[in-house]
Amino acid sequence: MRFDLTRFPVVKFLLKNRWPQLIIFILMLAGFLYAIMAGYIGTPVGNNNFGIVFVWIAWWAILILVAVPFFGRGWCAVCPIPMPGEWIQRGAILEPPSRKPRWLSLRWPNKFRNIWMQNLTFTLVALFSAVILTTPKVTAVVLTVMLFLAVGMSVVFERRTFCRYLCPVSGFIGLYAQTAPIELRVKEKQVCITCDGKPCYNGASTLRQAYGGASPSTGSAAGYGCPWDVFPGGLTKNTYCGLCMECLRTCPNDNIAVNLRPFAADLAQPSRKMDEAFKAFIMLGAAMVYAGVLLGPWGTLKAAAYSVGTGAWFGYVAAFLALIFGLLPALFLLAVKVGQGISKSNVPARHSFTAFATVLIPLGLMFWVGFSLSFVLTNASYILIALSDPFGWGWNLFGTAAVTWHPFLTATLVPLQILALLGGLLWSARTALKVSREVKVSSVPVVVFATLATLIMLGLLL
Amino acid sequence: MKQWYYIILAGLAGAVIVFAPLPIRVEAPAARIFRVEASRFAYSPAVLTVNPGDTVTIELVSMDVVHGLYVDGYGASVTADPGQTARLTFTADKPGSFRFRCNITCGALHPFMIGKLQVGKNTLLWRAIGLTLLAAFSGVVLTPHPVSIKVA
Amino acid sequence: MKRSEMLGRLLVIAGVLIVLSVPFAVHNYEGQGSIEIHGRMAETGGWSPSSIQAQAGVPLHLRLTSDDVMHGFAIGQSDVPAVDIAPGKMTDLTLTFDKPGKYTYYCTRWCGPNHWRMRGTIEVSGGSSDAPQPLSPPLYVTLNLNIDAPLPAPVTPVGRPSARRGAAFAAMLTPSYLTPDYYHAHSPAQAYLDLRADPTLSSLSDPSVWDLVAYLWRSNSTPDGLAEGQRLFAQNCAACHGETGGGNGVFAASVNAQTGKFPVNFTDPASMLGVSPALLQGKILRGGMGTGMPYWGPIFENETIWSIIGYLYTFQFDEEQK
Repeated sequence: MRFDLTRFPVVKFLLKNRWPQLIIFILMLAGFLYAIMAGYIGTPVGNNNFGIVFVWIAWWAILILVAVPFFGRGWCAVCPIPMPGEWIQRGAILEPPSRKPRWLSLRWPNKFRNIWMQNLTFTLVALFSAVILTTPKVTAVVLTVMLFLAVGMSVVFERRTFCRYLCPVSGFIGLYAQTAPIELRVKEKQVCITCDGKPCYNGASTLRQAYGGASPSTGSAAGYGCPWDVFPGGLTKNTYCGLCMECLRTCPNDNIAVNLRPFAADLAQPSRKMDEAFKAFIMLGAAMVYAGVLLGPWGTLKAAAYSVGTGAWFGYVAAFLALIFGLLPALFLLAVKVGQGISKSNVPARHSFTAFATVLIPLGLMFWVGFSLSFVLTNASYILIALSDPFGWGWNLFGTAAVTWHPFLTATLVPLQILALLGGLLWSARTALKVSREVKVSSVPVVVFATLATLIMLGLLL
Repeated sequence: MKQWYYIILAGLAGAVIVFAPLPIRVEAPAARIFRVEASRFAYSPAVLTVNPGDTVTIELVSMDVVHGLYVDGYGASVTADPGQTARLTFTADKPGSFRFRCNITCGALHPFMIGKLQVGKNTLLWRAIGLTLLAAFSGVVLTPHPVSIKVA
Repeated sequence: MKRSEMLGRLLVIAGVLIVLSVPFAVHNYEGQGSIEIHGRMAETGGWSPSSIQAQAGVPLHLRLTSDDVMHGFAIGQSDVPAVDIAPGKMTDLTLTFDKPGKYTYYCTRWCGPNHWRMRGTIEVSGGSSDAPQPLSPPLYVTLNLNIDAPLPAPVTPVGRPSARRGAAFAAMLTPSYLTPDYYHAHSPAQAYLDLRADPTLSSLSDPSVWDLVAYLWRSNSTPDGLAEGQRLFAQNCAACHGETGGGNGVFAASVNAQTGKFPVNFTDPASMLGVSPALLQGKILRGGMGTGMPYWGPIFENETIWSIIGYLYTFQFDEEQK
């Protein structure tokens, strides 16, 4: 059941025309640089610094509560981090390329054409998060590094390799984008099969070759090949499509659709990839650790997480890594094996393991929603303060600088968290059922695993 | 057909879990005093347990810098300087589990300086656990399964 | 290059430049002529800057902020009210000094065991050409007291002496005992010995003589002075000396770890009754020579210090009517 939004001329225009997206990019880039600047020159007090407040409270809230669940990789569509690099790589902001690439344009090595690097970068950020989330200068450094990396990689490699293979946020957005009710797909596969040159992937120069130099009658000639290194004709899941709309602009046959669809349609196609499975474990474990360490009453844990370099911190790191790379996958493997035993299945365990890992996607997303609701609603009042006094310099740009901190919606927070976690479990159980049909292995032990994880998360949050 | 029966049953079970009054023994309200030491970035003790209706007095002793204590759900708060114990008194008329947190910026981890106030039993958690088990059970039992599992 | 591309590039550059320039434009406009002071816990820097120049009679504009925890700001020996300096917030303060000299600014909200070290100076030059008043040396100097030597009380009372009970015998006291000079120069134990040896008071029991000493001590304070002393003790002394004066404040362990000594226990009769107000004044003015006791000379006026001292003795003597 799919509903193509581009059938509305307004929608199609807004997505195809480069100006609306450019305006949004400029605004996002301005906000991004403003946040970095606040981190460097503003007050070192995190809750009064625009950098901390608008990255880890405002942007994070919008990302995990709205953008990912409802728009999949919607954030990636407007993220400013790759854009300066991409503009340099293209040599243009709006115009298409007219000659061969001007930079190195190397191909990302095969060994790294997976999300293991992103698993690593996210884990690194998670291990240092107590310091990153609370120290403006450190957040500024992290963002600056991401910006420089993105620019550097655009100049050395082809397309958006930073986004596709390195960005710590991109890793989990991609994984969780599979639950979103929006997707970009081709309208008719047959059209792609007969299409010459595949300009949606190779760029518009091939288009001109195919049409003997003249502009085609349909589609825009102003198109780059997919920056996300994805062939739109072969897209079946949201995981790696960044919703940048380049293919929509390039396709000469108007064969690209942006569909509304039921939630989590992609989960009916369980992944076979171990890197994605481990991303699911990392996210699940990280949500539980954050809930316990950051929102719990245990001061020693927080001190351990913050005091980077000390013995206590190494202990915390060891426990964290053991959980996400050891305990959780091991218990999950046990569940899968028990399921195989129940169903007397001969399928290799790895096969069922990666397939069932799909179950952890809606579960993990709801764990993050549950955690983030508390963190965001408790600290949202800082957004008002930081808006008016972004650097802690005594400004009052919008009259809200004197707002005293107070938590929002405390009465509804816990019911919302319970609903989120219950929803996640139900959704996971349904997904487990679909996977179970496909791999012919009982889903019961995996559902038990998900239930135990949910009970632990409930205990940590409530 | 059986599926609809089960859904109705599950719905009823869910309603029972959410709304059924629990046989909790009602303790007579008492006056309780807690001496809570606040340091960067934890409270000691960090978990306070009282009965519904108790008059709770928290004596906040700051051990290093100026700290506050704000109780979620009650909105009651107090600030203490080191050397000047501050007292917060309120009636714990709302049952449940409430976090209390520091509301005077006291350093980097200030937003995570958290303790818990337990007023009576955490019935909301119990009900949530019940619903979780119901959800898990439903997720397994609700629709046809490739392997036959006896459903009671 | 097409016009749209030009426009696009222009907008990107403009957007970036505008955003990057805003803080500097607004900051400079607002910050004209002010000195910005950042407060940090003493362990991480204290006040920055910690010394400022000013002109007598010329308003000094200060913008104060804290970079970590709650601090406060006040000027020693002045009646400028203390101002809270909240983390991440900016507080504007304008001071005008009439007389030249060296003024001390200090933190007024406890911010760690080294809170009292969080001080700075304002050198005010110019102003009237009056010759500076000669400073008289403090009492412990003129009385030649060694304020670092231990002085246990040679005699201590059984039970707590009460000024209220002592008032009954007030008429029996010769006026010489009631002078401020006597009070300043004698410890309660010495006063007890003097009174005990006085033949006009020989009819009194030992506890009654102690009560008379308590009354004598109380007569050198006013209720307002005691209230002020109590307030100042709570704000400045209790963190180390304990809210009930027992030398067991929240920083007592830290002081001991740093110096090998605990803060003085004002509830111990042996140590408290053997010291005179002049000695206490000396301790408070000059600080502890490695004991961790701050020096309050630049901060409190003499009258303030006497109020505090009056309150300190109430740890030994019962209140009149509270």
